[in-house]
This record gives sequence, structure tokens and C-alpha cells, in this order.
Amino acid sequence: MDTDFRSRALTVIVGLLFLSAIYTIFFYAPTERVMGIVQKIFYVHLSMAFTAFLSFFIAFICGILYLVKKDIKWDVYGSSSVEIGVVFISLTLFSGVMWARPIWNTWWTWDPRLTTALILWFIYVSYLILRTSVDQEGKRAAYCAVLAIVGFVDVPIVFMSARIWRTIHPVVIRSDSIDIAPSMLLTLAITMAAFFSLWLLLFRLKTNVALTCKRIRFLENRMEGGD
Amino acid sequence: MRDTLLIIKKDLLTEFRKKESLVSMVFFGFLLLVILNIALGIGRELDGEVAAGILWVSIIFSAVLGLGRVFSQEKENRCIDGLLLSPVESEQIYTAKTAVNFIFMVIAEAVIIPIFFVFYGDRFARHLPMLIVVVLFVNLGFSTVGTLFSAITAGTRRNEVLLPLLLFPVITPLIALAVKVTGSVFEEIPYQEYSSWLYIIVAFGFIFSGVGYLLFEYIIKEG
Repeated sequence: MDTDFRSRALTVIVGLLFLSAIYTIFFYAPTERVMGIVQKIFYVHLSMAFTAFLSFFIAFICGILYLVKKDIKWDVYGSSSVEIGVVFISLTLFSGVMWARPIWNTWWTWDPRLTTALILWFIYVSYLILRTSVDQEGKRAAYCAVLAIVGFVDVPIVFMSARIWRTIHPVVIRSDSIDIAPSMLLTLAITMAAFFSLWLLLFRLKTNVALTCKRIRFLENRMEGGD
Repeated sequence: MRDTLLIIKKDLLTEFRKKESLVSMVFFGFLLLVILNIALGIGRELDGEVAAGILWVSIIFSAVLGLGRVFSQEKENRCIDGLLLSPVESEQIYTAKTAVNFIFMVIAEAVIIPIFFVFYGDRFARHLPMLIVVVLFVNLGFSTVGTLFSAITAGTRRNEVLLPLLLFPVITPLIALAVKVTGSVFEEIPYQEYSSWLYIIVAFGFIFSGVGYLLFEYIIKEG
């Protein structure tokens, strides 16, 4: 019951954070001078992109931990993380396309960030396809761990190689400065917190379901064995 | 080292007896060159980068055919179990299989690239030494990742159908770079302008040699 309570508390926190994110985005943050109302998608877009990237990084770490420790829980964590990451990266691509049409006057351009996001989408969707193609648990876990590692190692190479094409994507966050107004920065911080907490909630629910499934299967097997 | 060479020798020997992979690789590459020519409109003068794109699509797609065979033929009659039982480290198996894939690619390319020159104009053949350098480094990147992934797909239900689905997303940057650099070579652009792209191709090859070498053990033991 303790975990149930914690999940509920987290749900409440996620709800509150999202309400404040929506409030700050639409009523607190100023409307951008050139882009107008369309710019507001940026807060959600960037937060989702970061959360997606975080998911793939966690899957990478879980992949290494699984191969080293051979504990199936790391496979559950890794695969849950990838599933959520795929949802977020899809939404990132989608919101980016929505924004690009009025601002760039084109749905898509082969910019390093866009290309990297798209190739990441391909890599991790192929990860999900691989999961459905292997039946044995241990084998599936090892294969997926390897793919999660290879996929993440590929990310910097994808980004570097995508510089072949010219860029028109705005660079808001540089290594030494952040190029937006303080009120916008606060809005971004709140939205980002909302998405991180949502990620945490989804991750908890997803891993709980997966671990419960495993527990049930284990008990079923034992009952059949006891007959 | 001796064991690695023995596995390479064994694989090359079976291939030269049956000629299954190489014939299908070359045939398919040839076919793709024709189909892509039709797709772009026959008799059109192509610029360097488009021609490079055609060449690489043909090479990569034909190479995937050979890649899938390397492990699936070991699965037949459970040869892979024998290989794992023998006193050979799994790293050596990986090195050998990567080398075999590399050699298959070189042989297929030795036929496909001349055919490409015949169809698309021998003006592209002027910088052949540089083209060979590019091709060899792309082969390195392709065969290191490809060998790792073909070991994965050989253990799945969907086997060779799955291989391109897993492999292509990861090697997309490699293909993009290969097209860029080869296009620059065809267009006779000075080396300094595309050398940094070539370095990324080289880096790709070496990074994934290391990654494959480290991870292969975990895959093959699950077989």
C-alpha cells in the first residue's frame, strides 16, 4: 500500500506541476515579438526533447548494468525507459514540425538536431521491434541491452555527421549562456520539471506493471510445478 | 590469432565452394544500379553527389545480403555450438566474422564499382585511389556493426528480415558521410574540404570495432 500511496502523491505533484506549467506558458511568459503565439510550443518541445534524451541515456546505463550484473530488473528499467523515450521523441518531432511550418515555412529541414532526433526515433523503434521478436527472457534482455548501448554510442556520431547539412534551428542554450528572457527561463524550468515528474510517474507505473507480470508468471510456474 | 585465421579460412572456403553469398551480393548490387538508373531517368548526366548516392545504396543493400548469411549458416546444423565449444575466444570469432564480412564486401565492390563506372560514366573513375580509401573505411564501419547485429538477428525468430531494420538506423550517419565524401571525390573537390568527414568515417569504424569487440561475447553466449 506504501508504493500505492507514493504513486498517488506523485500523480498529484505531476498534476500540479502541469497546471502551473500551462499557467506560466500562457499567462506569465511574454509573447515572443517575432514569432508570436507559436513560440509557446518551445517550452513543451524542449522539455520533451530533454526527457526523451534522458530516457535513452538511462536505457544505455541500464544496458551496461544488465550485461555486467545479469539481473533482469535492469532489463525492465531499460525497456520501460526506452518505451517512454520513444513516446517523447515522437512528440518532440511532431511539435517541432508544427512549429517549423509557420516559422520556417517548411515542415522539415535536414538540420543536425532534427536529423539526430529522427534517427534516434528509428533506432529506438527498432529496439521495440527487436523486443517483440525474441521470446526467451534472458536472450531478449541481452540483445536489447546491446542495442541500447550501440544506439546511444551512435548519437554523437549522428549529430556530427548531420552537420553535412546547413542549420537553421535556433540555438537557445549554449555552453556559456542562455538566450532568453528571465520570465521565459522560469516558464521553461517549470515545464521541464513537469515533464521530468511525468517521466518519473510513467516509469514507476511501467516498471511496476512489468515486475508484477514477472512475479505472476513466477507464481504460476511454481503452482504448476507443485501439482 | 591463428584461430581467427582458421575461422576466416573456413568461411572463405565454404563460400568459394558454394558461392552463395557472393553471387547474390554482386547480382543484387548490379540489379540495384540498373533500377536506380531507371528511377532517375535513363540517359541523364548525373552530378557527383547523386552518383555517389546511387553507388552507396547499391553497395550497402547488396552487403546486407551477405551479412545475414554469415551467422544464419552457422545456425544450420548447429555449427555455432561447435564453434563455441572449441577453445576459441568469442572475441576471436567476432574478429574473424568481421574480417569475412569485410572481405565479402571488397569482393562484391570489386565487381559493382566497375559496373557503376560503365553505366554512369568513367569520368568518375579518375580518382580511383581516393575512392578505394573511402570504400575500405566505410567497409570497416559497416562490417563491425553489421557483424554484431547479424549475430543478434540470427538468434531471433525473424532472422534476416530483422537485420536491415536494426542495422540501417545505426549506420545512417555512415551512409550519409560515405555519400558526402564520395561525392566530393567525384566532384574533384580538394581533400582539405572533405577530410573532416572522412575522419568521422574512420572514427565510426574504430569506435564500433571496440564496441562490437566488447559486446559480442554477451550476444553469442545467448545464442
